[in-house]
Amino acid sequence: MLARAAENLYWMARYLERAENTARFINSSTHVLLDLPPGAAFGWANLVEIAGLDSSFHQFYPVANEDAIMRFLIEDTRNPSSIVSCVRYARENTRTLRELLPAEMWERINSLHHYLRDHAHAACDNRRERYQVLNYVIEQRHAIVGLVSGTMAHDIPYQIMRLGRNVERADMTSRMLDLNSAVHLPQDNILHESITERIWMSLLNSLSAYQSYRRLVSMQVRSEAVIQFLLCDERFPRSITYCLAEVTSCLALLPRSQPLQPRVQQLHSQLGCAENLDTANLRDKLEQIQQGLAEFHDALTQHYFRAN
Amino acid sequence: MKLTLPEYTTNTAFDELLDEAQRPRLAARPLFDYLDSLDAQELAARQQAVDATIMAMGITFTIYSEAGNIDRAWPFDPIPRVMARSEWTQIEAGLKQRLRALNLFINDLYNEQRIIQEGVFPAEVLTGSGNFRPQCVGITPRFGVWAHICGTDLVRDRDGTVYVLEDNLRVPSGVSYMLENRQIMKRIFPEVFRSINILPVDDYPAQLYQTLAALSPRPVKHPVIAVLTPGIYNSAYFEHSYLAQQMGAHLVEGSDLVVGEDECVYMNSIAGLARVDVIYRRIDDEFLDPEVFNPASTLGVRGLMRAWRKGNIGIANAPGAGVADDKVVYAFVPQIIRYYLNEEPILANVPSYLCMYDDQREYVLANLDKLVVKPANESGGYGMLIGPRATVEERAQFAELIRANPRNYMAQPTLDISTAPTLVDGELAPRHLDLRPFVLQSDKLFATTGGLTRVALRKGSLVVNSSQGGGSKDTWIVETEVKSC
Repeated sequence: MLARAAENLYWMARYLERAENTARFINSSTHVLLDLPPGAAFGWANLVEIAGLDSSFHQFYPVANEDAIMRFLIEDTRNPSSIVSCVRYARENTRTLRELLPAEMWERINSLHHYLRDHAHAACDNRRERYQVLNYVIEQRHAIVGLVSGTMAHDIPYQIMRLGRNVERADMTSRMLDLNSAVHLPQDNILHESITERIWMSLLNSLSAYQSYRRLVSMQVRSEAVIQFLLCDERFPRSITYCLAEVTSCLALLPRSQPLQPRVQQLHSQLGCAENLDTANLRDKLEQIQQGLAEFHDALTQHYFRAN
Repeated sequence: MKLTLPEYTTNTAFDELLDEAQRPRLAARPLFDYLDSLDAQELAARQQAVDATIMAMGITFTIYSEAGNIDRAWPFDPIPRVMARSEWTQIEAGLKQRLRALNLFINDLYNEQRIIQEGVFPAEVLTGSGNFRPQCVGITPRFGVWAHICGTDLVRDRDGTVYVLEDNLRVPSGVSYMLENRQIMKRIFPEVFRSINILPVDDYPAQLYQTLAALSPRPVKHPVIAVLTPGIYNSAYFEHSYLAQQMGAHLVEGSDLVVGEDECVYMNSIAGLARVDVIYRRIDDEFLDPEVFNPASTLGVRGLMRAWRKGNIGIANAPGAGVADDKVVYAFVPQIIRYYLNEEPILANVPSYLCMYDDQREYVLANLDKLVVKPANESGGYGMLIGPRATVEERAQFAELIRANPRNYMAQPTLDISTAPTLVDGELAPRHLDLRPFVLQSDKLFATTGGLTRVALRKGSLVVNSSQGGGSKDTWIVETEVKSC
């Protein structure tokens, strides 16, 4: 497979996963917002920080409020990670990859692009519309993944897409785990614990993980258990452990992947799932994971896309 | 469904679908029966569905003058152009005859030049040719074939004669639109394909694949074929990716390829360097290899010509094939056919005046108001003078150009090219059109069934190029003979 095409394919998969996860991320924060008790505040500025976009956000917007952040995350094409940008880049990449993808793939992405062109603005303006539009993005993204997994040969191009999807997904799950830090509760709030529980519930919901959590872990939503679940569960497809296992299995199917495999093992041990998980310094751990994923991405790019 | 009568009653051109009394011709009758069953509302709904389909299918083209806008929706007219199979069979034979002769001609020009020695083709035409590549002299590609893919433009004059307007032997485009047009029609008018016997067009990608695979230097079952594109900003990029997809070929840019020390061509793959057997190149000769042609080219591959000369890579069309894609050479095609094949040409050439000959030049200069003057090496309808529509100043300017470089110009009488009913504001109005079939040759010959019909959407316009306000129609070759039991 052509190295340039492989890189475009890898990025196309990342962009689509990012569009979906950004939609989930926004849905999640909107839910958290609705559940906040009087006196609690939502740190909008923290939100872009969690997404890793704070410096680019502040370059264009003086104040971090809901309106500005929604615009920035949904429709602002100056933000390369906004949903509109992600879909647009995915579409441009798909245009160069039509020879590798099922014919319907282009039509799907193309119509999602046209849909966002017509609806992204409304999604920024009001919360009800936002929910509908973002869910539509998630649905369409599922349709695309279904199309690809059900109609495309599961050979190298498919593995490259799976690789991109899981690297991106692991990164986004690590960022969503940080969402709690955006909520500032009053110090003496007696409802502290139940609020935290509700925030974790919203988070699980936005990752479509609540049901699995209840079935696999507990009916009770507790911080440590949720963190453990999203970092370490080997059965839930959005947990970081699961994503890394996917990456490992893709690499096993790609040519000359040996030099990359130890890096994934290393990332895996960084999670610390083997020992008793230490959730006290969650923030640090999450940053470490994001850093590790970025390094893996760079190594992958050098190894496969820039080699000859 | 209403004809726009005032326009139809004053239409002097031959109409493809309607006879002089505006009754449907035999081949078009089933179509009109079908159209009669649709009311205006239904047709408008279908037209909307067509637009939505084109949008969803993302069928686009690029106009260079619109910087940044790389996808304009493809303008498509839902009323097909219909031709009887009996007529098409004749045309198809003529197209294959023409390409066979042209390939013998090109191979002769790069080798013995018998046709010049025997005085059939003037040496000075070759000397003045902008597309003759001295770098290709002495080469005989496999099967002696240089132009593997040819797009031949056909038009029909007032008396019903079909003429060849030009042979596009460099990098002819449009075939993907022919295929997509049929897809659109099948989606929006599925019932019509049940009731009318319309011959399919979709075997083209498989035929193209076989034509290219036959050029592989390695005798492998699945040779590695690459479509070489200049990139996403090229006006035909849509087609490059479309054909690569349809053939299961790699879509590559020059920077993806390297020529190794063994003078074989390789592409950068994720598994390392991988050998390429055949390149379907969609870039012009000048940019193919900076070592031999334009040294500043970044679109091509250094060393490609060395690899080709060694027989380590198949290239379609072969570098230098464009020598026969020249409007002055065009005038000699009937003699070329007679010379190499010893056959009479099946398809007619438009009578042509070559400005390189004194008497013909004088005739052209004296009759500029009646003639169409074309430069020898341009394509896409650029650089032409349409005499009857030009101003006195324009004609004077052109006369200067002709005198300065007579070899570069030829002239033809203005043809009253045929029309077909086209949907304009909910009614059918006559619009001028041409037909571009695609002909393939390597070990075998193949022609598309019909081709791409291009239509000038502006009233009275004769320019069908999509870059200049043209659209397209599906082309139906239909069976008209009823078999008796």
